[in-house]
Amino acid sequence: MIKVNDVSKTYGKGDNLFTALYKISLEVPEGSTVAIIGKSGSGKSTLMHIMSGLDHASSGEIVIGDKSLTEMKAKQIDAFRASEMSFIFQAFFVEANQSCFQNVMLPLEIAKSPRSQRKKRVEAALKAVGLEEKVDALASTLSGGQKQRLAIARAIVNRPKIIFADEPTGNLDSATGELVIDLLFELNKKLKCTLVVVTHDGELADKCAIRIEMKDGEIISASNSKTKKVVRRV
Amino acid sequence: MTTRDIIRRSGRSLKSAKGRTILTALAIAVGTFALTLTLAASNGATAYVNKIINDNFDPSELIVTADPSIFGQANTSSPKEYDPSFGTGVSNSGATTQIKKITQADIDTIAKVDGVASVREDITVNARYMTREGQKKYVTTIASYNPAQKPDLLAGGLGADFNGAKLILPEGFLQSLGFSSAENAIGKSVIVSIPKNFSPDQLKAQLLAGSFAQTPEQLAKSIQDNADNVVFTVAAVSKKPATSRPGTELYIYTSLDEARALNDISTSGSTGFRKYNSIFVKVTNGNKPSNLDATAGRIRDLGFQVRTVKETQEFLTNIIGVLRGIVAGFGLIAIIASVFGIINTMYISVLQRTREIGLMKALGMRRRDIGRLFRFEAAWIGFLGGAIGSISAVVLGIALNPWITKQLNLSAGTKLLIFVPLQIFTLIAILMAISIMAGWLPSRKAAKLDPIEALRVE
Repeated sequence: MIKVNDVSKTYGKGDNLFTALYKISLEVPEGSTVAIIGKSGSGKSTLMHIMSGLDHASSGEIVIGDKSLTEMKAKQIDAFRASEMSFIFQAFFVEANQSCFQNVMLPLEIAKSPRSQRKKRVEAALKAVGLEEKVDALASTLSGGQKQRLAIARAIVNRPKIIFADEPTGNLDSATGELVIDLLFELNKKLKCTLVVVTHDGELADKCAIRIEMKDGEIISASNSKTKKVVRRV
Repeated sequence: MTTRDIIRRSGRSLKSAKGRTILTALAIAVGTFALTLTLAASNGATAYVNKIINDNFDPSELIVTADPSIFGQANTSSPKEYDPSFGTGVSNSGATTQIKKITQADIDTIAKVDGVASVREDITVNARYMTREGQKKYVTTIASYNPAQKPDLLAGGLGADFNGAKLILPEGFLQSLGFSSAENAIGKSVIVSIPKNFSPDQLKAQLLAGSFAQTPEQLAKSIQDNADNVVFTVAAVSKKPATSRPGTELYIYTSLDEARALNDISTSGSTGFRKYNSIFVKVTNGNKPSNLDATAGRIRDLGFQVRTVKETQEFLTNIIGVLRGIVAGFGLIAIIASVFGIINTMYISVLQRTREIGLMKALGMRRRDIGRLFRFEAAWIGFLGGAIGSISAVVLGIALNPWITKQLNLSAGTKLLIFVPLQIFTLIAILMAISIMAGWLPSRKAAKLDPIEALRVE
C-alpha cells in the first residue's frame, strides 16, 4: 500500500513561489496498477519523484507499507529504494557499452545481493522479458523495444514491490509500445508488484486499475474513491 | 555496492573510454618512468659505492690525515701557518696545494693511542717505469696492498707469503709486457725503476770525479736518470678492477714492507721523506662502531682529521642522495602535472555519465558509493600509469644495463640500474593514492548530483 497524504511541493519564496503539487492525497493498494496522466507541467513526474523518495515533499507524508518515507534519512531511503523499488524511463537509460548481463546486474550490486544468486537472477529476469539470447550482447546492439525490455529486466531483477514507469512507451512505435505494455502488465500479475505509470498515453492509462488525472499540480479526476480531490482556493 | 563490485565497475567504465584513459595514464607514466629509473640508478650507485668501499677498505680502519683539506673540510681562503710537515699534495677538490702531512713522529704518537691496534701508511710511489727484458718501458705507480682489498684474480694467489718484492700485476699490462696469458706471468720477473735523489755519497763521488753536471739541463738529466731498478716477481694477476677507486686501474700493488722500502728510495733526500697524506689506523675490535668512534675521538683530540670508512661511505651516498633528489624532483613535477590531467579526465567522465549516475542514484546507490566509484576509477588510472611507466623503465633499464656497464668501463656483470620490486610497488601505491586525491573533487561532484536533474537529460 502506498499512501500519499496531503503532499505539497513548492519552489522558491515570496512572489516567486511556485506550487508544483498542491495537497495531493491518494492510496494505491499493493499489487495494483496506477496511471498518472496529465499534460507536461501538470506535476505528474514530480509526484512520482516524491512517491519514490527521489525528491522531498515540502509538506505532507508518503507512507509505503508501514514505513514513512518522510521520516527516513537519506541513506535509509537509498537502501529502501534499492530493495523495494525500481524504475523504467522513457529514454531507457541502459548503458550502451555494457552487456545486457551487466546492465541487469546493476541493481543487484547496488542492493548488495548475495553473489551466488546474482547470475541466476539476472538470467531469470532476461528470460522473463524474452532477452535470454542476448545475455552477452552489448546494449548498443539492441533495438528500441529490446532496450526497453532490457530496462524492464533491470527493473524486475531485484524483485521490487513497486515499479515506477515514467513514459515507458514514449520512445517506442505503437506496435512495440503495445508489446512493452503487455509485458509490464503480465509481470505485474506474475510478480504481484505495484505498478505506477506516468504517461500521456491514454491507451496505457486505460489498462490500469486506477487512473489519476492531474492538472497544474492538482488531481482533477481519479477513478478510485479514496483519492481526494482538493481544489485550491484562489 | 561492495568494494569489489565498485572496483570492477570502475574498471569497466574505463575500458569503455580507452583512448582517454590511456592518454591520461601516459602522463603519469612519464613521471613514473623517471622516478623508477632514478630509484634504480640510485640503488645501483649506492650498491656500487658500497662495493668500492668494501673491496678497497677495511671497515675496522680509520683514515687519518693531518690536513683537513683532504676531506674537503679546510678553509682554504685563509692563510695557514707554515711548519716543516707541509708538503705538496692534492686536496679533495683536486687542487695541488701545500698539505700538512703525517710524519713518522705523528705515526708513533697515534700508534700509542688507546684502542689503536696498528698503523699502516697509505703509500703510493710513482715509479719511472716498469719493464721486462726485451719489452718497452711503461709508466706505473706502485701502492701498498691492503689485506682488506679483494681484487678479482685471474691467476696466482695472495696468501701469507705475499711479502717482499712481489707484486700484483693488473691484467692491462699482460700484453704490453709480452705475457701470453695470466698464468704465464706468474712467477716471472719484472723490473721496476724507482727514481731517487742523489745521496750525499753519490754527490761526493761525482764532485771528486769532476763529473758533476755543469748546466741546469745536464743536472735535470742526471737527476732523471738517477734510479734504482728493483726486480719484482709477479705473484698474482688481477682482473681489470671492477670497483677500484677511479684512476687506480693500473696501480701495481706490493707488500707494505716493500712499498715502504720503495718509498724510502724515492723520497730519500727530498722534503717528502717519510711524510704521508694519510694513514690507516686499525682499531682493536673495530667491528663495533662504539670502539671505532671512541678511538676516532681520541685521535681527533690530538689534532688529526679522522674519518671512518663508514663516514666516507656516507659522504659518497649523500652525494648520490642529492643527485637522486634532483632527478626525482623532475619526476615529481611530471606527476604533479599529470594530476591535473586526472582531474580533467575525471570531470569529463562525470559529465559524460551524468545519466548513469542519476540512474544509479535512482536505483538506491548511496552517495558515498558513487563517490567511491569515481575515486576508484581515478585509482585505476594511477595504477595503469604507474604500471606502464615502471614496466617500460624496467624493460629499458634491463636492456641498457650492459651498454652502461660498457660505456662506464665497469667490469662485466656490474649493474648500475638496480630495480627493487618493493620500491616499484610502493611507488605505484603512492601514485594510486595521489590519483584518488586528484579524483576527489570530480567524485564529489558525481556524488552530489541530483538524480532528478541527471535523469532529465535527454
